[in-house]
Amino acid sequence: MYFSVLLYPCILGMLSLVHAIPVHPDSLKNLVKLQADTIILRIKDHNEKLKLSPKLLIGDPELYPEVPANKPIQGLGSIVETLSTFHKVLQRLPKGHVSQIRNDLFTLLGYLKDRMTSMRCTLKEPANERSLDAFLENNATHHITFGFLALDRLKQFMQKLIVNLDHLKSC
Amino acid sequence: MHFTYLHLDYFFHHLTLQHNPRVPGLAALSPSDGRGGIYEDLKWKALLCCELPFAQTLDDGLSEHPPVGQCQLLNATKPESSRNCLDILCWLEGEQTNLICNAKSHRAAAAASLFAVRPQLVVQMNVLSDEANHAAQCAGEDTAMCSISLHGNDATVSLNISISLNGSTALSPKMQVSTHHLRRPEPPVNLHYNVTTEGEVIFRWSDAQPNSDAINFEIRYASNSSLQQWEVVKVKGRSWVSLNELSSGIRYMVQVRCQSHINYWSEWSQPFYFTLGVSYIPAEIFTTPGSEVTIYAVFHNRSWSASKAVWMLNGQVKIPESQYRVINEQVSAVTVTVDEPGFDTLMCCHQWGERFKCIIAYAKIYTEGMFNADFTCQSKNSEVDTMSCEWNKSAWAQVRLLYRQYTSMCETISEMEGSEEAEENMECPSGAGDHRECTLRNLSLFSCYKIWLEVEGGRGKVRSFPVYVAPIDYVKPSPPSVLEATTLPNKILSVSWSRPRLPVYDMQYELRFVALREMANTQWKVIGPLLEPQAEIQLKESCIQFKVEVRCRRLNGSGYWSDWSMSYTSVVYNSKAPEMGPDFWRVIEEHPVRSVTNVTLIIKQPVLAGDPYSCVEGLVIEHRASGRAVWSNETTLAQFHSFQWRKEAHTVTVMSRNALGISTQNRNMTLSHQPKRRCVRSFSAVANSSCVYLSWSLLSDHPVPQSFVIEWLDLKKDPEQDVSLTERLQWVRVQSASRDLSLCRRFYGSEEFTLYPVFVDGEGEPVRYTATRGDPAAYILLLIIAFLSVVLFVTLLMSQNQMRKLMWKDVPNPNKCSWAKGMDFRQINTIENLFPHSEGLTACPLLLVSESICEVEIIEKTHPVTLEHEQDNEVPIYKSGNKTATDSALLADSSEPLSLEASTAAATPETSGQSSVTYSTVLRSDQPSLLRKQQESLSSSSDEGNFSANNSEISGSFPGGLWDLENHVCSDSANPRHSSSYNSVEEFSETSDQDYEASESTGVAKDLYYLEVNEEEEEEDEEEIEETQSEQENNEIVMKVDARPLLEGKKSTAVDSSVSHSIPLYLPQFRTECINPP
Repeated sequence: MYFSVLLYPCILGMLSLVHAIPVHPDSLKNLVKLQADTIILRIKDHNEKLKLSPKLLIGDPELYPEVPANKPIQGLGSIVETLSTFHKVLQRLPKGHVSQIRNDLFTLLGYLKDRMTSMRCTLKEPANERSLDAFLENNATHHITFGFLALDRLKQFMQKLIVNLDHLKSC
Repeated sequence: MHFTYLHLDYFFHHLTLQHNPRVPGLAALSPSDGRGGIYEDLKWKALLCCELPFAQTLDDGLSEHPPVGQCQLLNATKPESSRNCLDILCWLEGEQTNLICNAKSHRAAAAASLFAVRPQLVVQMNVLSDEANHAAQCAGEDTAMCSISLHGNDATVSLNISISLNGSTALSPKMQVSTHHLRRPEPPVNLHYNVTTEGEVIFRWSDAQPNSDAINFEIRYASNSSLQQWEVVKVKGRSWVSLNELSSGIRYMVQVRCQSHINYWSEWSQPFYFTLGVSYIPAEIFTTPGSEVTIYAVFHNRSWSASKAVWMLNGQVKIPESQYRVINEQVSAVTVTVDEPGFDTLMCCHQWGERFKCIIAYAKIYTEGMFNADFTCQSKNSEVDTMSCEWNKSAWAQVRLLYRQYTSMCETISEMEGSEEAEENMECPSGAGDHRECTLRNLSLFSCYKIWLEVEGGRGKVRSFPVYVAPIDYVKPSPPSVLEATTLPNKILSVSWSRPRLPVYDMQYELRFVALREMANTQWKVIGPLLEPQAEIQLKESCIQFKVEVRCRRLNGSGYWSDWSMSYTSVVYNSKAPEMGPDFWRVIEEHPVRSVTNVTLIIKQPVLAGDPYSCVEGLVIEHRASGRAVWSNETTLAQFHSFQWRKEAHTVTVMSRNALGISTQNRNMTLSHQPKRRCVRSFSAVANSSCVYLSWSLLSDHPVPQSFVIEWLDLKKDPEQDVSLTERLQWVRVQSASRDLSLCRRFYGSEEFTLYPVFVDGEGEPVRYTATRGDPAAYILLLIIAFLSVVLFVTLLMSQNQMRKLMWKDVPNPNKCSWAKGMDFRQINTIENLFPHSEGLTACPLLLVSESICEVEIIEKTHPVTLEHEQDNEVPIYKSGNKTATDSALLADSSEPLSLEASTAAATPETSGQSSVTYSTVLRSDQPSLLRKQQESLSSSSDEGNFSANNSEISGSFPGGLWDLENHVCSDSANPRHSSSYNSVEEFSETSDQDYEASESTGVAKDLYYLEVNEEEEEEDEEEIEETQSEQENNEIVMKVDARPLLEGKKSTAVDSSVSHSIPLYLPQFRTECINPP
C-alpha cells in the first residue's frame, strides 16, 4: 500500500517531466522544414490550378501591407506572429482547396508555439489586428485574387523560413 | 426656548415618462426650452420657489386642511433667497437608461451657517411614468433624489413637485424633461463609399436613429500610418461628401460624427478602413445570356492611365481592345457579351511592359440560366452508404451543392417536378466554398437524388442543371476478400475468394495474376469476367507461386469496378519432400582490407517441372566446420548465398525443401586451404564461330575426381555497370568420366576457361586456358576490304583501257592539221606534265600518270602574240605580256597553271585584242605523234563578255554546247578574232569574272584535266569525225581529248565543290582550232 502511494507521485512526476521535455531543436527543424515544404507544394498546386494568365501581376509587394510580404525573420516570435497573420488571412478564404493549407499552417504554428512555450518566449500579440480585420472584410469577397496573393506571400515566407531554420533557436 | 419645527414637504405628484413623445417642433427648441428648466451639459436644470402660508408649530398639530401655497419656476440664474427655493437637476446615468432627478433646498445649503439649530425640511418626490406606469416617489429633508428607468428609450418625463412646510403645502407647475436632450447624439453609422463613373469618390453614412435631428456633420480621415494628422471636412445638411484628395494604395481610416440641435457633438463613428485601387461600377451585375454588359473601372492610382487599361476575362483571357472605351484619364469601360449561363469575372489591369499589373478587386458577372456542372458520382454501399460527387466549375465561383431526395425512381421524377417545391433542400455538409467534390452520407442507395450547384452570392439565380442520380447505379463495391490460391501439381492455379456482402446484387469478377519470380517486370495476366467467386487457370508449369488479385463489379447494369483486392501469394501443393538438392558452385573473394574471405554460392535453380508433387519452395544450406560445428540457413529459392569462410575446412551442403521436408540427395562442397593436388595434365580449348570445344587429360597416377567444374566470365556483362563477379561467373559441371566438352553459346573469343577437378574432400589444382579466337567481325572486315580492293583494281584497269580508247579515238592526228605540218613539237613524257594539276586530280593520276600517253610540246615565241602572227602561220604560244615560257616549264610548277588563268583573268581592256596561241602535241606511244594546236584568245573583251555571260546558262547541263559558237567560228576563218580559241578556264568556270578572280588563287586552275576539242557537234561517231577532219584538213583541225567518262561520277559532288575550291563541275578544256592562213 505504501508502495503504491509512493509510486503514483513518481509516475505523475515522470509524466510531467516527459511533457516538459522540449522537442529537440533538430527534430523541430526537420518538422518545420517538412511542413513548410508541404505547404509550398500545396500552394504551387493550388495556384497552378487557377490557370491565371502568367502575365498577371496581382498586388505589388508594397500594396496590401496587412498581408506580410518580405517580412524579416528574427526569431520564433516574429515567425509565429507572421504565421498567425497568415492563418487569420486563410481563415477568411472559402472552404475547399485552401482548407488543407490552413490545417498545415495551423499544425506548423502549433509546433512553433510549443517551442516558444518551452523556451519561455513571450508571445507577441499580432500588430494592426484591426487594420487586418478591415482589410479582410473589404477583400475577402474577391477570394481568388485575394487567396492567390496571400498564398503567394505565404509561399515566399515559407521559402525564407526553410533557409532560416536556425532562428528557431532564439525567441 | 422657542423651537421652531419647519416641515417642508416636496411632493412630486406625477413625474410621468412618455416614450418618445417628441413632437416635430421639438427640434426647434433652444436649450432653455426645457419647460421651466434648461438643458445644459447634458443636464436639465430648474429653480423652483414656493410661497408657503405661516407655519404652525408641531405642538399645534397638523390641521385637517393644511394651507396651500404657490410655487413658481424662476430663472435659475436669479434665485430669490427670501423664498423657499429648490434647485432641481435631472440627468441620465449608467448606460443612459436611468433618469435621475435631484431636488435640493437652498435652506439646506445655508442652514449650517445661518442657524445654530438646523431647521427640518421634509422633501417627498414622486416620479410617475404613465405609459409604463412607472413611478418613482421619494422624500427627504432638504433634499430628495429620485430615479426612474427608461428602458433604453428616449422619453419625455413629466415632473411634479409638492412642498410641505409645517403643514403648509405648495405644488409646483408641471415640468417636462426630454431625455433625448440629456444624451449625446448617436454617431452616424453605415459609413461607406461609392465611386461614380467619372471617378469621384463619395462617402455616405446614415443616422443612427431614424428621427435624428442632426444637421451638421464632420468627417475626418487619415492614413493608417499617421493617425495624428487628421483631415477634417465639415458637412452641413447632407449625409454624404465627396473626397477627391485621396491617394491610391494607402490604407485610410475615416470617421464621421454629427451635431444635435442643442450643439451636442456625437462621438466619432466606428472607423472605416479602405484602400483605393481599382473600383468597378457595378461591382456585381446580373445579366442574361447574350446581353451586353458594360463595366466601368476607375483607376485611383493617378499614374495609371485608362488608355493603358487591359481587361481580363476570368484572369485568363485578354478581352480585345476594340471592346474598351476610355471615359476619361482614370476611367475605362468595357462591353462584353456572355453567352453561357454561369459566373464570370472581369479584371481591369494596367499594362506594364509585357505584363499586367492588377489588384485584388474584380467585377463579378452572374449570367442567369443553368450551366452544365458535369457531375460524376460514385457511391459506396457499406455500413454507412455514401456517395461522392465531383463536378467542374469556374475556379472563381464559390458554390453550394444542394440536393433533394425522392422516394420514387429517377425515371419518374420529371413528372413530379414542380410538385415538391415545398420540400426542403439539403446542402453538402462541407457548405459553400470552392469545392469540386462532396461526399453525402447516410444515403439510401435505392432512392433518387436530385443534385445541383448554386453559385454563392448569386442570389440563387445561377444554378447548374440538376442531375438525377440513383446511387445504386454508381456503386463502387468493396474488393473481394478471403482470397485463396493454390498451384496444383496438374499445372492448375486454383483461386477462390469471397464477394463483398454489399451490395447484394449479382457480381462479376476479374482476376489477375503474375508469377512471383517475375515480379520485377510485373506483367499481370488478367482473366475475366468471371461469374463465380472461383477460378481455375491452366498453367504451363507447375511448382510456381503466383501473386493473385481479384476485383468485382455489378453484373447487370452500371457501376464501377472495385479496387483490386489485397495480393495473395499462391500456395504450391506438394505430396512429398524434394528428392534432390540443387547443384551449386562457389565464388571466393578475399577482402583485401579486412582479411575476410567471402564465399558466395551460385545455386542452380532446381528443376521446377521435375516432379510436380515435390516442388521446391526453398533451400536449406548446411554448414559443417572443422570443429564439428554444424549450422544451417533456410532461404527462399535464391540464386546466391554468401557466408564468411575462416579458412578452415568447411563443408557446405545445399538442400531443397518444401513444406513436407528436405531433400535427401544433396551435393556437398568442401572448402579447404590445403595444398591442392594436381591431376590435370593438359587442358585446351578450340573455338569456332559459335562453340568452344574444351578437352583435357588427367595424370595417370592420380585418383579420378568426383566431377569437373569449368568456369569462365561472361564478357557480355560489363563489370563497370555494377555487375558483380558472381553474376558474371558462368560455370558448368562435367561428369568425372568426361574428358571434353563442347560449349555452344555466345563467346567473345577471349574468355579464360578454368577447369576445376572436384574431389570428395575438396578441389584439385585448377587449370586455365584462354580460348583466343579472332574476332569474326574483323575477319569479315578484312574480307570486305580485300574484296573491295580487287574490285577497285579491276575497275581501275578497265577505266584505264576505256580512257585510252576514248583519248585515242577522239584525238585527231595533229599532223594532219595544216598548221601543224612541218612543226617541231617537243615531246613530253607524261600527261602529268601536260596537265600539271595532279593535286586536284584525285582520280586521274592513277590512270594517267603511270603511263606516258601524250606529249605536249610548246614552242616559245618571243614576239607578242597578235592576230597577224596567226595569220602569218607563226606558231603562237601562250604568253603573258612579253614573258613566255614553255609549257613544260609552266607545268612543272604547280603554280603555273594559275598564272595561266591569272593572265587570262588579268586581261584588261588594255590587253583586249591580244591573243595567244598554244600549240601542243599529244602523242600516243604506239603511233606517230599527233600534233595539237591550240589557239587561245586571251582577254578578248567581246569574247570574254560573251562567255562570262553565257557560262551560267550553259555550264553544267551542256558543256559541249559552247562549241557551237566556235564551229562556225572555225569555218569563218575570215574573222581572226573569232577564230581564236577561248581560254579554257573561262569557258567552263561557273563563276563570274569576279568570282573567278577570287578563286584563281585557290587552285581552280589546277583542275585542268578535261580536254575536249570539238569540230562539229556530232562527236559520237569517230569515223564521221575522221571524215570531217579529212574534209576539212586544209581548213581547220579540231582536236578533242575527252576525259569526260572519268568525270561523270564526280559531277554531283563537283557542283558543291565549286564553292569549296575542290574539283569544279566544269573543267577546263584545251582546244585547238585551226586558223586558216590567209
